[in-house]
Amino acid sequence: MLKNKLAKKFLVLSLLYLSFVFLSPAVLAQANILNVYVWTAYLPQDVVKQFRKETGIRVNISEYDSNETMYAKIKASPDAGYDIIFPSNYFIHRMRKQNMLHVIDKDKLPNLQYINPNLLRKPFDPNNEFSIPYLCSITGIVVNTDYLDSKNITSWQDLWQERFHDKLLVLDDMREVFSIALLTLGYSINDTNPDHIKEAYLKLKTLLPNVKIFNSDVEQNIYIDEDAIVGMGWNGDINLSLAENPKLKFIYPKEGFVMSIDCLAITKNAPHLENAYKFINFLMRPDIAKKISQEIGYPSPNLAAIKLLPKEMQDNPLLNPSSELLKRGQLQDATDEVLPLYEKYWEKLKIGE
Amino acid sequence: MKLNRLIKYSYPAFVYLFLYFPILIIVVFSFNDTSRSLVWKGFTTQWYTELFRDTNLLSVTGHSLIIGVLAATIATAIGTIAAVSLFRYRFWGKKLLHGLLFVMIVTPEIVMGIALLLLYSALDLPLGFWSLLLAHITLCIPFVTITVYSRITTLDKAIFEAARDLGATDFTIFSKIIIPLLSPSIIAGWLLSFTLSLDDVITSYFVSGPSFSILPLKVYAMVRLGIKPEINALCTLLLILTLLIVISAQFALYKNSGKKHAKK
Amino acid sequence: MQTKSTFKKICVTVIWGWLLLFALVPAALMLITSFLTPDSNDIVSFHLTFGNYTQLFNPAYLRILLQSLYLAFSCTALCLLIGYPFAFIIARSTSKHRSLFLLLVIIPFWTSSLIRTYAIMALIKAKGIINTVLLAVGIVHHPLPMLYTYGAILLGCVYDFLPFMILPLYANIEKLNPELIEAARDLGAGRIRTLCKIILPLTSSGIMAGTLLVFLPAMTMFYIPVLLGGAKNLLLGNLIENQFLAANNWPVGAAISMIITLFMCGMIFFYWRNSLSKDRSNFEELV
Repeated sequence: MLKNKLAKKFLVLSLLYLSFVFLSPAVLAQANILNVYVWTAYLPQDVVKQFRKETGIRVNISEYDSNETMYAKIKASPDAGYDIIFPSNYFIHRMRKQNMLHVIDKDKLPNLQYINPNLLRKPFDPNNEFSIPYLCSITGIVVNTDYLDSKNITSWQDLWQERFHDKLLVLDDMREVFSIALLTLGYSINDTNPDHIKEAYLKLKTLLPNVKIFNSDVEQNIYIDEDAIVGMGWNGDINLSLAENPKLKFIYPKEGFVMSIDCLAITKNAPHLENAYKFINFLMRPDIAKKISQEIGYPSPNLAAIKLLPKEMQDNPLLNPSSELLKRGQLQDATDEVLPLYEKYWEKLKIGE
Repeated sequence: MKLNRLIKYSYPAFVYLFLYFPILIIVVFSFNDTSRSLVWKGFTTQWYTELFRDTNLLSVTGHSLIIGVLAATIATAIGTIAAVSLFRYRFWGKKLLHGLLFVMIVTPEIVMGIALLLLYSALDLPLGFWSLLLAHITLCIPFVTITVYSRITTLDKAIFEAARDLGATDFTIFSKIIIPLLSPSIIAGWLLSFTLSLDDVITSYFVSGPSFSILPLKVYAMVRLGIKPEINALCTLLLILTLLIVISAQFALYKNSGKKHAKK
Repeated sequence: MQTKSTFKKICVTVIWGWLLLFALVPAALMLITSFLTPDSNDIVSFHLTFGNYTQLFNPAYLRILLQSLYLAFSCTALCLLIGYPFAFIIARSTSKHRSLFLLLVIIPFWTSSLIRTYAIMALIKAKGIINTVLLAVGIVHHPLPMLYTYGAILLGCVYDFLPFMILPLYANIEKLNPELIEAARDLGAGRIRTLCKIILPLTSSGIMAGTLLVFLPAMTMFYIPVLLGGAKNLLLGNLIENQFLAANNWPVGAAISMIITLFMCGMIFFYWRNSLSKDRSNFEELV
């Protein structure tokens, strides 16, 4: 009897909840919403809350951990319902070619004027018809100055030194890892020549004994907790990590480094187009862009926002690298034709052949 | 004999210790005064207050629990029926069904996720509550079936024949004989399904939509920030809540079964 | 003997209806994908080919398969060794709180497995709890490298899969008739003999179930080797994930998945036939 009563109560409760769940989408459809699909921890909560306060639009945030997973999901289900996504520039290239993005009406984005013109009209999106720069990211060398002297480490080639045996943290990202080998060999990071790629693979084989950990998800925590004392890292992550472990130092290597621009884009079948424009324009407002750059730690493409930063931050090469510095960087581009070749060598490296 | 008793009590205790030690760490670290590190930096209760302010996280947890209970229950129902049918009946495609169940367990989650996504796309099913629920049920069914089936094979078929001779319909046999005999494995199946559903990340990632998110996805995303102790606080609270429910349910049922014993 | 009862019809329809739509169709979609050609412009072009399969007949992939098999096998064996005595003691306990004991096993697993894995990391890393204690007490002078080793991966796996072994075992052992064991003892069988000839064979279907529920998922898991092992080895799970995501090569990913499935089904089919016949013969002997 007791069991029956409990079962009945449970049934009623779940029916109630289900009806709530069913009714709310219908109700919400009338309400103002926007579905944003973003890198994990790449959009400050305060910004979202402020947007809601100012416009009344409720933002649903869904997160992904890599360009590839976002792309796979949207490819398999173009009507997934997301309005705004944040692809890296080389994914913009692929996605616009595959007709997955909505053309942007720049008249609806007056705040575009604040964006650094050097970051616009790049080959991956020649007229910025599909993408607006959001944040920039740069891959460099990270050193824990408690254990190592950072003055002696200035180039990617230094990571090959024998004293780093079983000490390196290397990003678990195929393109990033191949890039450092290509850079030491003097090639472009977007090289599609199979011979060059093979050279890079052979060079990486000699780096393997030095690798202690492969990780892209939480590399900053590994450095903070000192499970690795030297290796690759992203400038924004390390910038924020300095608060927890001030001994970390980020170095822009001599041979050059990988730069990528993470962009805002609208999906082809975005259900809430107007709200999407409002949001993008909001994100480019100087005070908002400044807040984003400060909280996420990465350099902003928004010139007016940079001017609003406190002086120490403007002088911080991690948050605001000078144009001199940026000359050494190479923008990561799509290499879809030779992707299978890269993958083949990457697997070989990971298997330990 | 004393050695026997010693083993009987200490071995399970060791296993429990092994199972709960990391949980203890989670609880302790929910009071850790740092937002990124896995090293102890000081005591604070700020994460609990932050948790209660984080309505997004709380609603997402609620979603997970609802999906978990529904998926587990429906999967257990279907899985039990499947196990019983495989044991008792002969029907077309029996061997195929066996094979399909194995295929489902072996299939890597990413393959299942993308395949289901393609299916939903073809059916024009919008991503959200239903897409997630259907996927979770499908995931759990083979686990239930295998658990229940392993116990069914030890049943004596003579019982069914006896019941038949006494005039029972198939349904009566099912509800009055089979279910009670199988109840431990049915419950075990439910528990396994609930656990699977609560924790499923990869398949859920692909079949979930923007309007209905669940806890494992949020956790997976938050991990990038380095296990904000807020998550630890959430886990601790869920743990305490679950323990309370379970222990009180146990005592409630104990009272009930006490009466049954008295009747006997 | 089997009359056409409506109940049976309903059962079979429900099962087949569900699995057809949500299991068979997606599986078929994947099977078809494995025969298509990868295309950098549109994921796949509808050109049938066996190339995805032939390129897998490569000693490198064989190594990955063997490594994954080894890991899954060790994990299953350990889970069985740890889990069986535990399930046995709990299932045969006469305590009124028996079901509570079982629930206590599974409750830790309602916390996210990711968080638990990080908790394990917090335990065994260089600045982790174990090392801090050992260093403070003076047993060691340098932190023990426990994280990012194969042992760490195994620890994580066993920890994650233990309830999937314990629960089916419990469900099966609970049915064991204690009188059979007493009878064996009365007839003079020693403890080990009772174990091997009576207990294990009678619970073999539980062992099979537990093994399946641990071994199969363990073959394709991947985030534990990444988190606890430093992602230095490529296992089947990582391989498939790579193909679908980084390499954008769904057909090869689907092909690998198909091959693993066939391989596993083959292994299990072979084992299942053997164990079923043993089960039957044991049963017939007893009755």
